[in-house]
Amino acid sequence: MDGILSELKVLELAHAPSGAFCAKLLADQGADTVKVEAPGCGDPARQEPPFIGGEPHPDRSTTFLALNTNKRGVTLDMEQAAGRDLFLQLASAADVIIESYPPGHLARLGLGYEALKAKNLGAILLSISYFGQHGPYANYKGDDLIAQATGGYLYAVTGSADRPPMGTALQQMEQTAGRNGVIAIMAALLHRDQTGEGSHIDLSVMEAAISTPSGLIHPYSFTGRNPRRGSGDRNVMDGMHLPTFDGEVTLTTAGTGGRPMEVWSEFLGEPRLLDPKFATRLSRQENWEELRDLVAPKLAQWNNLDLMRETMARGLVIGLVQSPRQVLDSPHLAERGFFVELEHPETGALKYPGPGFFFDGVNPMQSTRGAPRLGEHNAEIYCGRLGLSNEELGRLRAAHVV
Amino acid sequence: METKEANAMSAPTLLQGVKVLTLEQVHALPWGTAFLADMGAQVIRIESVAHMQDRKAGPFPNGKPGVEWWNEGGNLAYFGTRNKQSLCLDVTHPAGKEIFLKLVKRCDIVTDNFRPGTMRRFGFDHESLAQVNPHIITLSSTAFGHSGAWSKAGSRARTVDAVCGMSALTGYEGGPSLRASNNYMDHSTGNNVAYALLLALYRRNKIGKGVRIDLSMQETGVSCIAPAILEAQRGITRPRLGCGHLWKSPHNVYSCAGSDRWIAIAVSSDAEWTALKQVMGDPSWAQDTRFDAARSRWQHRHELDKHLATWTATQDDKRLMALLQGRGICAGAVLTATDLVNDPHLKQRGFLQEYNRAGSPSVGPRTYAGRPFRVPGVPMAIRHAAGMGEHNNVVLQEVAGLSPVEIGELAEQSVIFSRPRAEEKAP
Repeated sequence: MDGILSELKVLELAHAPSGAFCAKLLADQGADTVKVEAPGCGDPARQEPPFIGGEPHPDRSTTFLALNTNKRGVTLDMEQAAGRDLFLQLASAADVIIESYPPGHLARLGLGYEALKAKNLGAILLSISYFGQHGPYANYKGDDLIAQATGGYLYAVTGSADRPPMGTALQQMEQTAGRNGVIAIMAALLHRDQTGEGSHIDLSVMEAAISTPSGLIHPYSFTGRNPRRGSGDRNVMDGMHLPTFDGEVTLTTAGTGGRPMEVWSEFLGEPRLLDPKFATRLSRQENWEELRDLVAPKLAQWNNLDLMRETMARGLVIGLVQSPRQVLDSPHLAERGFFVELEHPETGALKYPGPGFFFDGVNPMQSTRGAPRLGEHNAEIYCGRLGLSNEELGRLRAAHVV
Repeated sequence: METKEANAMSAPTLLQGVKVLTLEQVHALPWGTAFLADMGAQVIRIESVAHMQDRKAGPFPNGKPGVEWWNEGGNLAYFGTRNKQSLCLDVTHPAGKEIFLKLVKRCDIVTDNFRPGTMRRFGFDHESLAQVNPHIITLSSTAFGHSGAWSKAGSRARTVDAVCGMSALTGYEGGPSLRASNNYMDHSTGNNVAYALLLALYRRNKIGKGVRIDLSMQETGVSCIAPAILEAQRGITRPRLGCGHLWKSPHNVYSCAGSDRWIAIAVSSDAEWTALKQVMGDPSWAQDTRFDAARSRWQHRHELDKHLATWTATQDDKRLMALLQGRGICAGAVLTATDLVNDPHLKQRGFLQEYNRAGSPSVGPRTYAGRPFRVPGVPMAIRHAAGMGEHNNVVLQEVAGLSPVEIGELAEQSVIFSRPRAEEKAP
C-alpha cells in the first residue's frame, strides 16, 4: 500500500523524543521526512542506552532506532550562516517543519516562523517544547520525568499510595505529546487547504501530560478532591498484578454480570471466594491479603496463553502482564501482521511495532528504511533535492557545515 | 431548540460538512471522535437508552448526581459528548435500523467500539454500509482488533497497559511490576483514532475512496514501547527504575516540606550537576569524587539520592523548582490537581477552560484541561456538551429527512428517547 502521506514533505529538527516521535508517525505513513541533525553528535537520542549489540554506538540506540523509522537524515550546522541558508532552502519546499529547540531559539537564528513564512507562505511549523512557547515556565528545562511531575501524572496516576510518586516507563509523556502533534498537523493541513495559510503551532509536553489522564482536572473541579496515586493497591480483583505459571496477570471484575466473586470462584475452583467478607469492593480491599492468598495459588497453575483463551471463552476480561518478549512472541500479533520488519546496516533486520491500525486489512506502515545513520542522506538531499554539486557539498563538509 | 451557551463560540470550519456517526461507549473512541468534533465535524453520537453507563459515570458536583444527572457528568463535557450531537436511537428496532442506514447514506464516517461481530449482527459491518454509501469510512476501535486469536477478548485501559508490555516495564526500582496507569491507553488509543480518521479523510480527498479501519488498543499500546520491543529481539532486558533513568543521575523525586510534597530533579550533564552543587552551597558530601563523572554518579545514585533528599526535605517544592530552573537545572514540582488549577503558568497560557453548560444550571461553571496544542485560528475548546437525545429532532429532520410527524411516531414507538426510562436508577 502506498504511503497515505506520500505527497507531504516534512522537515524535522527535533532534539527531544516528542518531536522525533511526531515526525516518525508521519514518516511511517509515507511522508517524505528529512531529519536534520547537528554534525558530530546528532540527536541526543543516539547516545541513549541500551544499544543493539551492547556497546555504545550512535546508530544502534534502541530509543533512536524506534523514534526515527522511515526518515532520511542529513547533518547541518545551524550555527553557521551557510547551514542556516541550506535549512531555509529545505524549509522553503517543506509542508511541515517540526522543531523542539528551546522557545525562541529558532527565531534567534533568524529562522523563526516569520522568516519561514516569508519563504514559504504555507509552511506549518510545529514547535514542541516542555512548557510551551510562552508563559512563566517557557524557558524551563524538561524531560519526560519533569513532564510527568508538572503534568500531575506522577502524583495522581501510577505509584502506590504509601510510597513516593512513580511514573510510567519509556517516555510516555513525550509520546503523548507526539500523538497530539500529528493531530495538530492534520488540522493545520486542513486549515491550509481552506485558507492557503500555514500555521505556527505551539505544543506543550506538560499540557499533553495534564490532558492525558481523564481523572485529573475536571474531577477535581467537580469534587474538590485531589486525585492521588494508589487506586491499584490492595485491589486483588481489579488492579494488582498476580503471578501465573509463566508470567503475571491482572484480573478485572468486568464481564461477570455484577457477580464477580461467584464467577471467579467458579472459574478458579476456589469456593472460599464466596465468603461474605469478599462480597464488596470495599471489603475485598479490607481483606486483600487473605483474598490474594486464595486467588494467587490458583492463578499460578495457569499458563498465560491458556488463561487468556479460557477467560475469553467465558467473556471475562483479564490483562496478561506480558513482558516485551512475550509481546514479541504473541501468536495473536503474528496472525495480525502487526510487526513490520525494517532492514538496517548497523543492526540487521528488526521487527518494529506498526501504528495500531489497519486500512482495508493492510498494515499501512511503510517499510522503506530503518532510522538514518548520522548524515546518511547528505548527498541525496543536498545534491539531489537542492541541486548542489559534489564540489559544493565537499566545501560544506570541509567547513563542517554538514 | 439548541440552547446557547454562556461561553458559546463558533465551531472551526476545518471539518465543516463532514458527518460522523458514532456508536461509542466508555473512553477511547469518544476521546478520539471528540477531536473531530472540536474541528467542526458534525459528530452524531448514537446513544442507547438501555446502556446508560457513560451518562452515569460522572464526575458529579460533590459526587452527588443531580435531578437531571444524565446530562451533568463532567466526562461528557471533557470528551463523551463534547461538541457532538446526541441522537438517542434504538438501532436494534427495525425502524431504528432503517433510520441508521438513512443516516449512513448522508455521512462520511461511521465509528464503533463494540466487540468484533456486533456491528455485523446489526447489519452495520463495513461491507453492508459500503453498499449504502460506497465512499464510507468506517473505523472500529477494539481491544485486540478484528482478526487473530484474541479478537473476541474484552479489555479495560489498564489491562491494555498490561498486555502491551508497558506495565511489565513499570515499577519502583528493584520492585515488582505495577499497573502503569488508569486510562493512559484510552487516551493513546483515542489520539490514534483521531489520527487514523484524519488520515482516512486526507486519503479520501486524494483518491476518492472510503476505507475500513481496524484499530486495536493493544497494538496502540505496543507502539508505545517500541524500544523495548527492539531490545527483546536481542536479549536485552530493560530494568524497572521507578523515577530513575538508565544513565542520568540525579534523576528522581525527592521529598519536600509539607505532606506528600515532592520535587523531580533530572540532571543530564556535569554542568547541571556543578550548578546543583552550587545551589546547595557546596556541601561536603557533594565533593565526593565518585559524584564527579556521570557514569560514576549513576553507579552511586542511591547514595546521592539520599543526600540530595536531605537537602530538599525542608524546602517548598514550587519555590525550589523556580530556584533550580533559574540556575539552569532541570526540575519540576510534583503538582497536584489543586496546584494545576491554580498554576500561574497555565493561567497565563489560557490552558484550562471553564465551561458552564447552559442546560445544567445546578452544575455551574467547572474547570477542564484544554488541548495541549494551539493552532492559530482553530480554537479546540469545549463549546457544548450534548444532553441525552438533545439532537434527535435536528438530526432526524436535517440529516435523515424525516418530518415532525414521523419523528413524533418514533418517540411514541419508543425508538427514540430524550431522557432515561422511568425505571432507570440514578447512579
